[in-house]
Amino acid sequence: MEGDRIEEVRLVHSPVDEISHLALDIGGSLIKMVYFSTSREQPIDKTQINASRDSHAVSRSSKDGHLLNGRLYFLKFETSKINECLDFISSKQLHYRGLQHCGFPASDKNIIKATGGGAFKFADLFKEKLGISLDKVEEMSSLVSGANFLLKAVPSEAFTYVNGQRNYVQIDHNDLYPYLLVNIGSGVSMIKVDGDGKYERVSGTSVGGGTFWGLGKLLTKCKSFDDLLEMSHQGNNRVIDMLVGDIYGGMDYLKIGLSSTAIASSFGKAVSENRELEEYRPEDVARSLLRMISNNIGQIAYLNALRFGLKKIFFGGFFIRGHAYTMDTISVAVDFWSKGEAKAMFLRHEGFLGALGAFMNYQLVEEFPDTIHLAGEKNRNPLVGDLNDNGVIECCVQARPAVED
Amino acid sequence: MEGTNHLWEMVAILKEDIKKRVEKREESRWCDRLGLQFSGQLHGHCLILVVQQFKGILKREIPQFCCLINLMIYHIWHWILELVYFSRHEDSLCNDKRKKSSEKRFGVINGHRRSFPVLGGRLHFVKFETTKINECLDFIHSKQLHRGDDNNAVIKATGGGAYKFADLFKERLGVSIEKEDEMDCLVAGANFLLKAIRHEAFTHKEGHKEFVQIDHNELYPYLLVNIGSGVSMMKVDGDGKFERVSGTNVGGGTYWGLGKLLTKCKSFDELLEVSQRGDNRAVDMLVGDIYGGLDYSKAISENKEIEDYRPEDISLSLLRMISYNIGQISYLTALQLGIKRIFFGGFFIRGHAYTMDTISFAIQFWSKGGAQAMFLRHEGFLGALGAFMSYEKHGLDDLMISWMEKFVQKGTQITDPVPMASPRTTGLGGFEAPSSKGDTLRSDESNLNVGVLHLVPSLEVFPLLANPKSYEPNTIDLADPNELEYWFTVLSEHIPDLVDKAVASEGGTDDARRRGDAFARAFSAHLARLMEEPAAYGKLGLANLLELREECLREFNFFDAYSTIKQRENEASLAVLPDLLMELDSMSEETRLVTLIEGVLAANIFDWGSRACVDLYHKGTIIEIYRMSRKKMQRPWRHCDILRGAAEAGGLLVDAMINIQEGSKQKPSSTRLMVVENGCGSPCIDLRQVSSELAAAAKDADLVVLEGMGRALHTNYDARFKCDTLKLAMVKNQRLAEKLIRGNIYDCVCRYEPAR
Repeated sequence: MEGDRIEEVRLVHSPVDEISHLALDIGGSLIKMVYFSTSREQPIDKTQINASRDSHAVSRSSKDGHLLNGRLYFLKFETSKINECLDFISSKQLHYRGLQHCGFPASDKNIIKATGGGAFKFADLFKEKLGISLDKVEEMSSLVSGANFLLKAVPSEAFTYVNGQRNYVQIDHNDLYPYLLVNIGSGVSMIKVDGDGKYERVSGTSVGGGTFWGLGKLLTKCKSFDDLLEMSHQGNNRVIDMLVGDIYGGMDYLKIGLSSTAIASSFGKAVSENRELEEYRPEDVARSLLRMISNNIGQIAYLNALRFGLKKIFFGGFFIRGHAYTMDTISVAVDFWSKGEAKAMFLRHEGFLGALGAFMNYQLVEEFPDTIHLAGEKNRNPLVGDLNDNGVIECCVQARPAVED
Repeated sequence: MEGTNHLWEMVAILKEDIKKRVEKREESRWCDRLGLQFSGQLHGHCLILVVQQFKGILKREIPQFCCLINLMIYHIWHWILELVYFSRHEDSLCNDKRKKSSEKRFGVINGHRRSFPVLGGRLHFVKFETTKINECLDFIHSKQLHRGDDNNAVIKATGGGAYKFADLFKERLGVSIEKEDEMDCLVAGANFLLKAIRHEAFTHKEGHKEFVQIDHNELYPYLLVNIGSGVSMMKVDGDGKFERVSGTNVGGGTYWGLGKLLTKCKSFDELLEVSQRGDNRAVDMLVGDIYGGLDYSKAISENKEIEDYRPEDISLSLLRMISYNIGQISYLTALQLGIKRIFFGGFFIRGHAYTMDTISFAIQFWSKGGAQAMFLRHEGFLGALGAFMSYEKHGLDDLMISWMEKFVQKGTQITDPVPMASPRTTGLGGFEAPSSKGDTLRSDESNLNVGVLHLVPSLEVFPLLANPKSYEPNTIDLADPNELEYWFTVLSEHIPDLVDKAVASEGGTDDARRRGDAFARAFSAHLARLMEEPAAYGKLGLANLLELREECLREFNFFDAYSTIKQRENEASLAVLPDLLMELDSMSEETRLVTLIEGVLAANIFDWGSRACVDLYHKGTIIEIYRMSRKKMQRPWRHCDILRGAAEAGGLLVDAMINIQEGSKQKPSSTRLMVVENGCGSPCIDLRQVSSELAAAAKDADLVVLEGMGRALHTNYDARFKCDTLKLAMVKNQRLAEKLIRGNIYDCVCRYEPAR
């Protein structure tokens, strides 16, 4: 499946693109890749505004060095199929081609910025197969710089999710900090961000995307994470979760503010019913699992935000993937525990924070807020467009003078 | 002499009383060597108490007596039904009568005495799985628990199942269920336990329990985390004052539900049990695999089916995930509310060491050591206890001191230790996981860790204790593994001898032999259990062990293993008592005092619990041995402090007696000697819980004499009192002699301590 998508990307964007600056986030389950590509062709749908921005950027270039127009590409692979990733890099010659162009410092040759646990694990493999070294970027700092970049540079990046509706939130750059960044990968990290490069991991939980997928796989025989998410969408968690109403004879437990539909015990019904796993629909199981994990993360995140007096909570990481039901449960959990005072916010590029952060580590981009704009159509219709999967952002990057290195 | 006449009177009364007691097969231990030891105190009306090893009659329950069970309560979870019921014993009524007559006889003057209000009895804890609700109904039916005093019983119940099963109860048992609010009950139950039961709360780290004594005044506020199917977190500010502040849907139901689906385990206990053999590294992703350490991720990267994983590993992994999660949310909630104490209860924990360790670890980790998880021994019964408390009529609230817990129950299966490999370090959100270092864990300790709570309404703190709050009865702390092993060996080796004596005391019948063997098995099993997990029954001291042994004997209907011997000895002693008293009276005051102390110490050689002494006994009659040991007394008492103490005590005793004699001229009719029960069930005395009779009588005492190893050495050796104290005992154990006084076996301790 990943292969198909890659194919697609290749077709859409012609091979004449100059590709440079690849960054990887090699996680326990997925490899996320971000790379920059300059395009000789002007984007077809380029608007006036974009053009003027370009000129603005160009005018700045005289001071600071090269300014490049191009696109950021987002790709992902399953970690278990790392060879596909290696083949892709190799086929596109991503690992050294770009650097010879456009005056980028040549010293960067054969080095790729990488983050995530796999950056350690697979370093030898990259060296051996592609002859390149992975320059390890600290995971947490990648996440934070990725998120900071997105929140400042990309309009309509953050949104809330209420009753199935995305509501984009305009983030005031001056009022961005402090915020809580909850990155849901295999596990969950909760990071208090106070500014660029100023952050602290304050909490976390091991119950995250890995738990969802791992348990889900054992419970449903699902072959991929996406299948599992898809299945959960069609499920009904009431089949297997014990609701407050199940316990109290269909009544709400008003004294403590629990409605009869609140989950009293995830998977609690499996206890009292003498049913084998096979007798439950995998969809229902997946849904219960998803709700359990989302709910839990939402709760822990809210408690941590409360602890540090943080008003904004952003959720990211591949677990969410723009998946409506996940976002919905997390939103509900935050809403419930905060009694409506806090809202969960999500990022459109949530899965790529780490990879983007590693990319930022090349220090190509300075003061990015005005230099980035999104590739056309996706920008116009954010409700449809979703960059959680493979996608592109069109942007300008600025090559810094080589002297700095 | 006037004094001597009184003496004769007293001796006659005592003889009669002993005879009656023996006839009634009642405890006769109290009159042990009475004549010899009481001789010094017969001079005046002012109370000089000899705190002897009287066994409380109230506590001596006779199991075959018809029980009157008048209250019961359930807490019905979705999958566990907790049953708490209170049984009252008819013989307590008889006791009251007897007490009245003895009061009359000895003329106890007792202004401050609390009226003996309530029924004594037992609070029983039983649990059932709700899937086996019929077993529960049968149990209730067989015990006739649903028949109250008025044959119109209402059963208080709480928990979700109270709704679900109401009809079933009505139909099968004809009783209606009165539903109590679940949260109210949980909190009331926890408050009760934390106040009434000593060593209820404990911390659990790396397989080790440590009991926490909580000052009642500093109890609130606390966070109560009840882990049932789901998890409720309550902030408790006082009796009936609480708020549900948080909770999570990932709880015991999740563990069992997921576990059932993934492992095919048939019961919660089975699931817990298999987890003990698990290694969660097989399923969880560890730090070594990927930093960031993640649950279940491993299941992703490997193409394995459920069948490829061992149920043990899955169960452990689930258990860890859920425990850790609960610990984390609890800590965050407590932090938010500024609460220091977090108590965990509910059936999920079940005394399971790994669960408790994981929760403790989570709290410790996230609080960076600032907060501690505490657990309750009666964790599974909070709701049921609370519902029980909601019966207004029993008025138990002011009886917080009156509960004693007994672990000896016939029919309680004591299983062999379950060995377990300790889980090693695993990735826990990128952090080290706790490792439970307990060599042996069992899946459900709560059965064994929860005894029957005995309500003895007439217990009080001994009023003369200098510092009741810091008082610790035990001299020997069995937390020291060497001590523990030594005393276990001593007790174990003594079992055959004890069984022989016990069987003989019951006439040596086949029935007695059978019971004797059963006792030996049960007590050995308890010892093995305690060896394996010393804190299983609460904080363990030597006194507790001895008490356990006595309880065990009583449970198998041996009322006093030494009764025949004692009877013989008492008769012999009483026969020579008048002569002895006359001899004493004729002495000068100083000589008399030394003689008295010598007498007490010499008499103290009789100890059927001491192996060394048992061998001596075969050599002659009690009087001969007494004379022999009197001779031994001639040598100086070895301990120098003791010698000095004795000399000082001598002076004081004489002063006291002079004063007494002067006083007696003014009030010639007041009591000269009385015998009261101390309320303790073993040779040791726990002065935190003595009979209110003793408490009242001792209130104005000028001198406390603690006699014998159990009272003066094993317990209370370090206790300080508000009045002068004399501790007298012959040390009949080499190790104890070395440890306490750096002396030898048969050395005598005579410790005098002035009032604090």
